[in-house]
Amino acid sequence: MQSRYTGYMGRVMQINLTTKEISEYPWSDKERELFIGGKIMAAKILSDHFKGTENAFGEENIIVISTGPLTGTGAPSSSRFNISALSPLTGILASSNCGGSFGYYLKKAGYDALVIKGKCSKKTWIEINNNRFIFHSADDMWGTKISECQEMLEEKIKASNGEKAKYGHICIGPAGENLVKYAAVLSGERAAGRAGIGAVFGSKNIKAITAAGNHEIPIYDREKTIEWNKKWFRYLKKHPLTGNQLPRLGTAGLVSSMQMRGLLATKNYTYGRNPEFEKVNGETLAEQYNVVNKGCMTCPIKCARTVMVDGKQVKGPELETLGLLAGGILNDNLQLVNRWNYELDELGMDTISAANTLSYAMEANEKGLWANGLEFGKTEGISKLWEDIAYRRGIGDELAEGSRFLSKKYGGEEFAMNVKGLELAAYEPRMAAGQGLGYAVSNRGGCHLNGGYLVILEGLGLNTNPNTPKAKADFTMLFQNLMEMISASGQCLFTSYAFFPGFLITQPNGPITKAANAAIPHIGFALRAINKCPTALMLHLPVFHHTKIFPYAVNMPMNFGKYIRCGERGYTLERYVNSRFGITEKDDKLPERLTKVPQDKNNPKTVVPLDVMKKTYYAARGWDKNGVPTKATLRRLNII
Amino acid sequence: MVTVKLFGLLRLDSGIKEFVSEAATVKELYEELKQLAAERGNIITDKNIKSCALLVNGQQADKNIKFKDGDQVIFMSMVAGG
Repeated sequence: MQSRYTGYMGRVMQINLTTKEISEYPWSDKERELFIGGKIMAAKILSDHFKGTENAFGEENIIVISTGPLTGTGAPSSSRFNISALSPLTGILASSNCGGSFGYYLKKAGYDALVIKGKCSKKTWIEINNNRFIFHSADDMWGTKISECQEMLEEKIKASNGEKAKYGHICIGPAGENLVKYAAVLSGERAAGRAGIGAVFGSKNIKAITAAGNHEIPIYDREKTIEWNKKWFRYLKKHPLTGNQLPRLGTAGLVSSMQMRGLLATKNYTYGRNPEFEKVNGETLAEQYNVVNKGCMTCPIKCARTVMVDGKQVKGPELETLGLLAGGILNDNLQLVNRWNYELDELGMDTISAANTLSYAMEANEKGLWANGLEFGKTEGISKLWEDIAYRRGIGDELAEGSRFLSKKYGGEEFAMNVKGLELAAYEPRMAAGQGLGYAVSNRGGCHLNGGYLVILEGLGLNTNPNTPKAKADFTMLFQNLMEMISASGQCLFTSYAFFPGFLITQPNGPITKAANAAIPHIGFALRAINKCPTALMLHLPVFHHTKIFPYAVNMPMNFGKYIRCGERGYTLERYVNSRFGITEKDDKLPERLTKVPQDKNNPKTVVPLDVMKKTYYAARGWDKNGVPTKATLRRLNII
Repeated sequence: MVTVKLFGLLRLDSGIKEFVSEAATVKELYEELKQLAAERGNIITDKNIKSCALLVNGQQADKNIKFKDGDQVIFMSMVAGG
C-alpha cells in the first residue's frame, strides 16, 4: 500500500507495448485528492502526455484504464471502470465507462490503473496476475467475435490457473481489429462502447487483457462503510427510479415517455415521435421478450434485460439501441432490434454510432446524395451490413468511418447527427433545450450523459419547460460536474437519479412537483452561485449518499461542495486537453436540423436555442468566449 | 367515450394496456381503472395511479379536467435512464 488513502490499491502500472517493459507510473496522494480516479485521473495522465499533435492510431496514443476509489468497496453500483484514449472517431479525448468486472479484478491484482503506451509488434493478449504481466500471442484469437474470444480466454486462464480461477477481462471483436472508428471494448456483456476505444486497442494489436489477483481492497473503516452502504442500498431500492422503474423496465422503459414528450428521435431525428412506438417500447420488451433482469456487480438497480436470439439468452437492448434501431430507421420489429443489438455486441461495435451512421446513410440515399441502397424501413440485409462494417467490406468500409466522415464526403452535414464526430443518443433535443446544450458542449462529443442529462428535468423525471434556455446552462454545468465525479469515483451514473427526492417523481401532479417545475427556469442565479463557489457547501445532502462514503471507505475528507469542485476540475481538464486538439466554441454545435428546423412547424420555439445557452455556460465555467478555459480558471482548479 | 392507454409501471402493475371508458372525470376514471385491474387479479391504488403523469390529447392535464367525447387519455410513468 503506497497511499494514505484507502479504497485505492496505491499502484498505477505503465505497460510499454513496444518494449514489453512494465514500470510503476508515478501517482501521488496529492493527485488522488485532485483527480480522484476513473475518467478524471485518466484525463490528467493524458493531459501530461498529449501535445495536441497525436494521432489516434499512432504509436503515441495512450490508453488509460482506470478504476475509482470506490470500485470494489461494496458501494452500490461500484464495479465501474473507465477507458480513455485519443478517439479515432472524434480526434479528441475519449472516455468510455464500463460496468463489467474488469475494474474489480484489476484492483484484486493490486492496481488502480494501467497506462498503456506504444504498440505490440504482434497480435497480443495480456494476462495480469498479481505482479506478473504476461504477453501472450493472440494469433489464434484474432478474428474471433466477442463471445468466442471470451470462451477462449476462459479456457486459457483456467488451463494455467485452475478451474476455479476468478478473473476479469476486456476484449475487442472484429470491429476493433479492423479499426472501425466506433469499435467497442467489452467486459462480459457490458461495453465501453463509445468513441472507438476498441479501434485503439486494435491499432495497438491488443485483443484482450485479463486481470486476477488476491489483493484485498483496503477500506478505512469497514464497519461504517458496510453500515453506510446498507443504508445506501436501501435508499436506492426504495427510490422510484432506481428501485422500481429501472429494475422493472430497464432503460427501455423510457421509450414511451420520450414519445409523449416529443423526445424520441425518429427517422434520423426528422421527428420527435414514432407512430409505431408501441411495437418497440420498453413495455413490449418487458411483456413479450425479457427473460430475466440482470445487473453489474454490487448493483441494486439491475437495469439490464435479457432476450432470446437464436435460442441463446443474450443481453437485451438499451434505450439508445431500441430508439435508434427502431424509430430511428423506421423499423417496427423489436425482435430485429434484439438480434442487431446482439450482433453488434458480438462484432464489438457501438450500437449508438452504428445506428446513427446507418440512419444518416439512409437519408443521404433518400436525398440522392449517396446511392448506397439503404432505405428507411428496409430491414433486409442489415445483419450482413453490420458484418460488412466490422470487416470493412463494400459500403461497410465507408460506414465504418462514422457519420461525420460520410457527411463531409457526400454532403448533408445538417442531418449527420453527431457532435464533434460522436453520434447523438436517442434523445431528440428540440423538445429538451438543455439536453441540446449538453450534447453540444459535451467533452467527448454528442453524448447524453457526459452532456449532463438535462432531459431528466425536461419531461422525463420532472416536467419543466423544455424549450426555455433559462437556467439550462447552470443546471448543465452542475449535473455535468456531479456525474463527472460519480464516474471518477467508480460508480454508475444511474445512482445520481436518487438525487431527486422520490416524491418529486411519484407525485408529478402534486403541488410541490408543480412548484418545482415552475421554479426551475428561475433559479439559474442560485445555481450560478453554487457553481461558482461550491466549496461553500461544506455539507452532506441527505439524498446524496456519494459524499459520506469517502471518509468511511477512502479516508478522504469529502463534502458536497468539494465533490462538485472535483467534478468541475475533471470537466475543465478534459476541455483543456481537447482545446489542445483545436476544440473551440465553433465545435460546440449541433446539426442544423436541431437548431434551425422546428420540430413542430407551428411552434418556432421547438428548436435548440444553442447560442444563448452557450454564452451563459462558458461564463459559468470560466471559459473564454471561444470556449477555452482561461488561465485563471485552470489555476483556480489546480489544473496548472 | 375516451380512449385510455397505460404506459410504464402502471401498465405492468394493472395488467391493462388500453381500454375505452365513459368516465367524465379523473376520479371516475381512477375508480374504473382500479376495478378493471382487480378483475385481472391486480390491486392498484390511488397512489399507483397518481404516480403517473396524466396526459389528455398529448398535453399534461390537471386532476380537475373534465373529459370530452373522443379524448385520448394517457397514464405515463416518470422515468430516467441513459
